[in-house]
Amino acid sequence: MPDTPVLTLRDLSIDFPTPQGVVQAVKALSLTIQAGRRVGFIGESGSGKTTTALAIMRMLAEPGRVSNGTIDLAGTDVLALSEEEMRRTRLSRVAYIPQGAMNSLNPVMRVEPQMWDAVIAHEGALPRGTLKARSAAALASVGLPAHTGNLYPHELSGGMKQRVCIALGILLDPDLIIADEPTSALDVVTQRQVMQTLNDIQRKIGSGLILIGHDMGLMAQSVDELAVLKDGELVEHGTVAQIIDAPKHPYTQDLIRSVPLVGGESFLNPDRSAPAPRRSSREPLLRFDGVSKTYGTVTALHPMSFALQGDTPQIISIVGQSGSGKSTMGGVMLGFNPPTTGRVLYEGRDVYGMGAADSLDFRKNVQAVFQDPYGCFNPFYRVSHALSFPFRRFGLSEGKAHTQRAMEDACAAVGLDPDLVLPRYPHQLSGGQRQRLIVARALMLSPKLLIADEPVSMVDASLRATILSNIYDLKDKHGISILYITHDLATAYHVSDFVMVLYKGRVVEAGPPGQVIGDPRHPYTRLLIDSIPWPDLNRPWGSDDWTPEALEHEAQAAAAQFRGNVPGFDLQTE
Amino acid sequence: MPVIPAAYLKNRLITLVLTVLIAATLIWIIPRLSPVDPAEIALGRMASGAGTVANSDEILAQLRASMGIDGPLIWQYLSYIGNVLRFDFGLSTASFPTPVSSLIAAALPWTLGLMILSLVITFLIGNLLGALMVWDRSPKLVRVAIPAAMVFTSIPPILSGLLLMWVFAAKLRWFPLTGAYGLTVEPGWSLDFILSVLHHGFLPALSIVIVTFGFWALGMRGLMITVQGEDYVKLAEAKGLRPRYVLYRYMIRNAILPQITAFALKIGLLVAGQVLVERIFAYNGMGKLLYDAILNQDFPVIQGVSFVIILMTAISVFLVDLLYPFIDPRIRHDSA
Repeated sequence: MPDTPVLTLRDLSIDFPTPQGVVQAVKALSLTIQAGRRVGFIGESGSGKTTTALAIMRMLAEPGRVSNGTIDLAGTDVLALSEEEMRRTRLSRVAYIPQGAMNSLNPVMRVEPQMWDAVIAHEGALPRGTLKARSAAALASVGLPAHTGNLYPHELSGGMKQRVCIALGILLDPDLIIADEPTSALDVVTQRQVMQTLNDIQRKIGSGLILIGHDMGLMAQSVDELAVLKDGELVEHGTVAQIIDAPKHPYTQDLIRSVPLVGGESFLNPDRSAPAPRRSSREPLLRFDGVSKTYGTVTALHPMSFALQGDTPQIISIVGQSGSGKSTMGGVMLGFNPPTTGRVLYEGRDVYGMGAADSLDFRKNVQAVFQDPYGCFNPFYRVSHALSFPFRRFGLSEGKAHTQRAMEDACAAVGLDPDLVLPRYPHQLSGGQRQRLIVARALMLSPKLLIADEPVSMVDASLRATILSNIYDLKDKHGISILYITHDLATAYHVSDFVMVLYKGRVVEAGPPGQVIGDPRHPYTRLLIDSIPWPDLNRPWGSDDWTPEALEHEAQAAAAQFRGNVPGFDLQTE
Repeated sequence: MPVIPAAYLKNRLITLVLTVLIAATLIWIIPRLSPVDPAEIALGRMASGAGTVANSDEILAQLRASMGIDGPLIWQYLSYIGNVLRFDFGLSTASFPTPVSSLIAAALPWTLGLMILSLVITFLIGNLLGALMVWDRSPKLVRVAIPAAMVFTSIPPILSGLLLMWVFAAKLRWFPLTGAYGLTVEPGWSLDFILSVLHHGFLPALSIVIVTFGFWALGMRGLMITVQGEDYVKLAEAKGLRPRYVLYRYMIRNAILPQITAFALKIGLLVAGQVLVERIFAYNGMGKLLYDAILNQDFPVIQGVSFVIILMTAISVFLVDLLYPFIDPRIRHDSA
């Protein structure tokens, strides 16, 4: 049924009155979505995408309110409904799949009752058998076995939780599904599976779909139309083909350009002045000597040996899906997670058997950047305290003025205005700013090694390139070696000197990025690369022509591919 | 329903026994650090009654023997532990020669009845009110009234008790002033007696409730604010669930979990915390027993009461440990 609008927004404006004045989150937005169409809302955080979606659900957070305009949901004026009518409209006519599927399910209820209560709230009490059939059918439609319904949320993986949320969304065949960054917490392989599930089911029930996101590649592969939002305004709207091939608005052009591509143009400005190596020992900077890690019966990391010399600064990327053992590796390197077998040596000293003085030296020289920029600051202290504290703690400060200068230099190095950020509290800063401050904090201690675990997966796409070039500068300008842990092969391709692909705790392919990522030989590496959504309509995302079992079979059959070492980094192959 | 594994049960039981043993040891050590000799006090009491006591040295030695404070320390300790495990705390020095255990046995049911009832009521009311303070659909009146009612939390329980006595017992004469049951009824499982107990218990219970509900309400408020921002609450609303159902099954159900642990810990504090309430209502419970024992330096009773308090806390924590995996599926019996 083409040309039947399921949603019409007319001049929609949303205000947030604050003590400092009214913030206009959405400004005169007009948009029509036809039945069966998939529309992407793309823009940075704060652009009004989620706010618009919540307004359609009439679930705006206090003190937000619709100040002007109308929301028409397939002939119903949403803003005119009573509370009870609106409650009945939710899920039955418009389903909202919130961001962060990790926490979207009630932790103390099994999956099934969380589907049943939704059905009962709209259709009244039903016999248990009927409910069970309904939930089993919905779970089956997203590719989950019926017994999933008996599990508690913490027993599901991230991808499974996201599928459960999709199953919930389609329980009552809504006219419109709103999916708010449904895959932002998932790795590329799972992302592709979940998006295919969502698209298949949307096609089957013929509803409209709003996909909210900030990744132009994902949008290009998933939607029919794109609505580009910036600061609450719709700056461009058209079919995906129009927008990808001929973006008119400069902001849209930026968004497309900001996606790092394998083999594409580099976003870095390498400085070839080659800084002096930070080395004080003849031993390798970091050495894994037969390190493995098992949790109970599960092997997270199979025995692994490598040596990072540190003669010249290098970036070593460790790539893989969630569960591949890459974060376990990071924890082991940082001295947080003792290996089950083997030794981790920092300049020849065992990280897990250090005395107090050596341990302090290790902590100063091995710094970390983690995934979540929100959890890395103590909310009670100003940024200046967070930055200066480790500096003073490690005895680097030569007085107040010196500390201040060091903080200012570090902020400037990551492109932040020190006067603006230093006196603030962490909650007053954006995620991107915080992540850059964490890089700055690490830089102030002039470490020899930085371990960066998914440093950009939680920040806006447009900022990823900036933060990665900050990290790259640590190597390039400050001579710091870096272990970059990520699931994003495109960025690994650009920043690294050496790439290790991890699958189920084993290195399946390793070598210089041009070979490993540019010309993959192992089936798992190929899968990772094929799963990257490209902002290019001529490069299809591919069909889901494999199952985890088939992959496992193939991956185990395939020999690990070692594509040569680079000087200064020796991965021992058995 | 998961079954409690035997290994877990064994572990928890060992912890329980160790806690109780360590506590019993402390109870034994602390009075021995005091320079007061309870035998001399008892003798003094006899002397003040009779005017003079012949062969006082002999009596003193006998008293010490009966109090278990003669012989080498290690022997005193071992026989004390052996006795305590059989709930034999010796003889009260103040009401000599009544066994401490029978004093406790007489007082304990009253305290358990009054205190646990008022604790349960406080827990329910406090948590519900705390939740309503946060819920965005609470009536305006509720949101204004609850914080105002919190004022009572800052009143010491003796004052609120006296106030209630003055208004409801002395002026209105709705409730009796003091005592645990009427003088005219025969203790037993008769309807008259039960009604009399409830009638007498109402004011002390109320004075405890209005003073302590704020503790639960404030705690619950903080927990609810956290839960309110959770994604699953947002999704619950997006599913079109009825608001009241979301409040109970999604918000309170999750927010209350830490409060249940606090509840177990409160059970032990409740005797010590409500000593004065029992005192002013002349309610013959553990609190009053402890209060009188302290005044009279009646060490065996102090030790016995302290031991029972610790035992109650340890048992309630033990029960919560067993219960927790059933109320929070993320906690497993083997993970502890």
